[in-house]
Amino acid sequence: MSALLSGTGLVRGYGSTPALRGVDLAIDEGEIVAVTGPSGCGKSTLLHCLAGILRLDAGTVTYREQDIGLWSEAARSRLRRTDFGVLFQFGQLVPELTAVENVALPLLLAGTGRREARQGALGWLDRLGVADLAEQRPGAMSGGQQQRCATARALVTEPRVLFADEPTGALDVLTGEQVLGEIVGVARERGMAVVLVTHETSVAAYADREIALRDGVLDPTGLGLGVTR
Amino acid sequence: MRPSTLARLAVAGNRTDVLRTVLTALSAMLATIAMLCAATVLSIRGYASRYTVQLLVEPGLRPGVAATLVLVALPVLALAGQCIRLGAPARDRRLAAIRLAGATPGEAVLIATAETAVASLLGSVLALIAYLVARALPAAHDQHTLPSDVLPPAPVLVFLVLLVPVLAALIGALLMRRVIVTPLGVVRRVRERGPRPWPGLLIIVGLPMFAVPWRTDDVDWARNVAYVLIVGGTLLTMAGVVLGVGWISHTAGRLMRRFGRGPAMLLAAQRLITDPWNGSRTMAALLVAVIAGAVALAYKALLATQFRYFDVFNQMMGSPNGEGMGAGAEPDFYFGAIRLVMVAVGLSAAVAAAGLLVALAESIVARRRTYASLTATGVPRRTLSASILWQTLTPIVPALLLALAAGDTLVRLIQSSFTIEGTVPRVLRVPVPWADLGLLGGGALLAVLLAVGVGLLVLRSSTDLEELRIG
Amino acid sequence: MSTAHVLLGLLSGGPRHGYDLKRAHDERLPRAKPLAFGQVYATLGRLERDGFVAEAGQERDGGPDRTSYTITDEGRRHLDTWLSAIEPPAPYVTSELFSKVVVALLAADAGRARDFLVAQRAAHMSRMRELTTAKSAPGASVGDVVAADYSIGHLEADLRWLQTTLARVADLQKEVTS
Repeated sequence: MSALLSGTGLVRGYGSTPALRGVDLAIDEGEIVAVTGPSGCGKSTLLHCLAGILRLDAGTVTYREQDIGLWSEAARSRLRRTDFGVLFQFGQLVPELTAVENVALPLLLAGTGRREARQGALGWLDRLGVADLAEQRPGAMSGGQQQRCATARALVTEPRVLFADEPTGALDVLTGEQVLGEIVGVARERGMAVVLVTHETSVAAYADREIALRDGVLDPTGLGLGVTR
Repeated sequence: MRPSTLARLAVAGNRTDVLRTVLTALSAMLATIAMLCAATVLSIRGYASRYTVQLLVEPGLRPGVAATLVLVALPVLALAGQCIRLGAPARDRRLAAIRLAGATPGEAVLIATAETAVASLLGSVLALIAYLVARALPAAHDQHTLPSDVLPPAPVLVFLVLLVPVLAALIGALLMRRVIVTPLGVVRRVRERGPRPWPGLLIIVGLPMFAVPWRTDDVDWARNVAYVLIVGGTLLTMAGVVLGVGWISHTAGRLMRRFGRGPAMLLAAQRLITDPWNGSRTMAALLVAVIAGAVALAYKALLATQFRYFDVFNQMMGSPNGEGMGAGAEPDFYFGAIRLVMVAVGLSAAVAAAGLLVALAESIVARRRTYASLTATGVPRRTLSASILWQTLTPIVPALLLALAAGDTLVRLIQSSFTIEGTVPRVLRVPVPWADLGLLGGGALLAVLLAVGVGLLVLRSSTDLEELRIG
Repeated sequence: MSTAHVLLGLLSGGPRHGYDLKRAHDERLPRAKPLAFGQVYATLGRLERDGFVAEAGQERDGGPDRTSYTITDEGRRHLDTWLSAIEPPAPYVTSELFSKVVVALLAADAGRARDFLVAQRAAHMSRMRELTTAKSAPGASVGDVVAADYSIGHLEADLRWLQTTLARVADLQKEVTS
């Protein structure tokens, strides 16, 4: 069986600064993979490339045997409201919408009716323990509450792959634990794959497997031994 | 995406967004009213002695009236364009977040432009209603002071009502392109090259385009072609001046960074280099109004020269007073008309100054975190105020000079001198109305200074350290 | 040794007999070494001798006699004193890991040091993963979670130190060779 999501020879730079210099990896269905490494090693860029948010300079990203790198921006965007969920450290909630509207957003964009989308969103807010904040705007919530709403939004479409970039980076240990616990729980329940970018080993320990990066390439030692610039 | 979703996302916004919607609708309404009036004046045929207003009676004068109305509409249109950028940072962030949730680039554009287009459509439809109501008022019928008996053809009406919304939507889509490229647009921004002086090309193309219909008397120009060339040339020139501010700002910033002294100038220089288009955005309406004013003043100088030419000519011919070559009415009548134009331009300049104030305050509020953190690290408020003054005034002074020069040049292209035939040909040159232009430029600068003053008051409240928490 | 203090702490909630104390100890401190029965009774004997606990009664339900113990006022004072004494923050590093890494970096050849470090990191990671899985399992008790947290925290500190040390050594070598 071939992998659910794989990347081959991934290269991406910003201007003249290289961020990824040729990375190969494969992720199976239901697998939780931690992408680790020091800051600036290219782990967020790798996540953005795999999720189809950033275009590659070279290489291919294959999802369910299709090269999504060849897809249009619009087609890749649509993937984010059906198959992919994204969860960042912060900034993905729309400040002008209420929590329940934020969570329902991917469903609404996909054309689900307002009532049905709202029901789905409320269910996930409840599961994340923030149902009582449904009508609040993000500005009125604490960082932990916002991140739980964001998690609900990332999961509301029941994605096959969740891309989480430092999801607990701004949270205290206990709140971070709750968020990670929910993510792992959903992954195990539904066979959802998770790409978990983090620089903390205690967060990486939630994953089945670790992919370490250093200076834009894979670091099989996890300690930066033998990686040259 | 269902229409209800589109509607919800389009109206999601904060107070700044509401302000933008109101201002967009208002400026669209004013611009449309002015253009509807211009179209009505142009729809009058022949020598129309039924009107009491002399300007409407003579076929030769009516294009001038229409042109004036369009001239007044242009700064207001520029204001509408400027309004679209109000609250842009927050909106960009919002749209990037919506893109991240799975909206396609097309949907993001749709969401962003729906609001602008609907607001300006609302404004232009209100304008149409106001126009039709004003026509139906009995006072307008009885005295024939206003041309309520003619109506422009229906396609023209539809065109004018749709013009502003479509333009607004197009400009909105153009300004959105950065966020459309990637949902991380706001998070990551690759440094781009500074603006090039290509807007200069617009001016270079615009001026001859405007000049062509005046210079080629022999060719029997179709009236509409001439109008298109004149209006198009004017628009291109105005766009060139407004967009040229981007290059002016960037160049001024580079020079200031090289030769500037003190932290205020360096801060201002860096701002000008990083965001050279800020000047274009905030000054657009004012610059267009200044160009319009310069056109009117230069035209006054042209008329004055022409009357002098008539007088000299008639004296030479020995014609008694009141006979011989001359205009259709007393000179005072024409100067009165110019004064009316100046009042109209002054009004639109006031509108533009208000727009400038809003835009400037908005740009300070948008950067309040930076200002607050600069204050927190010990940069005195005086330095910040000085840097804002520098960054606003450095590009506006050359831009104003450019606008005045462009306006005067436009009129100079119509006719720059009169030659009196005779044994010794005598040439009367149209003088440059230095005093008038100086007053106009000075007035505009004063308006900018006032706006900056109010903006600095906003800065004071924006540098409260509390602002560091608000995100 | 603190076994005595743990038993005193457990008794401060009410009288318990020896078997009960052993069970409670193993439950509250799941990742510590389990207590042997002999050790429980020996410790209780010492505590009774010092007047910190007293026999509270006999109990018999179909088995052997069970003596239950209760904490005395003297015992409470002793427990209080122990709790208020500050633990000295480890004055010497005694860890085997520390010594090994330092020796590997200083004395062993590069290849060997590398193999050791990679294998050690992998072992730490897999232990952390195990503990994380155990603590996020649905039935995990508070005792399990608290104990897992303690171990995870220490393993994480080890790894962070390992990583920082390697980065420092790399910087040092760059300085030397450049």
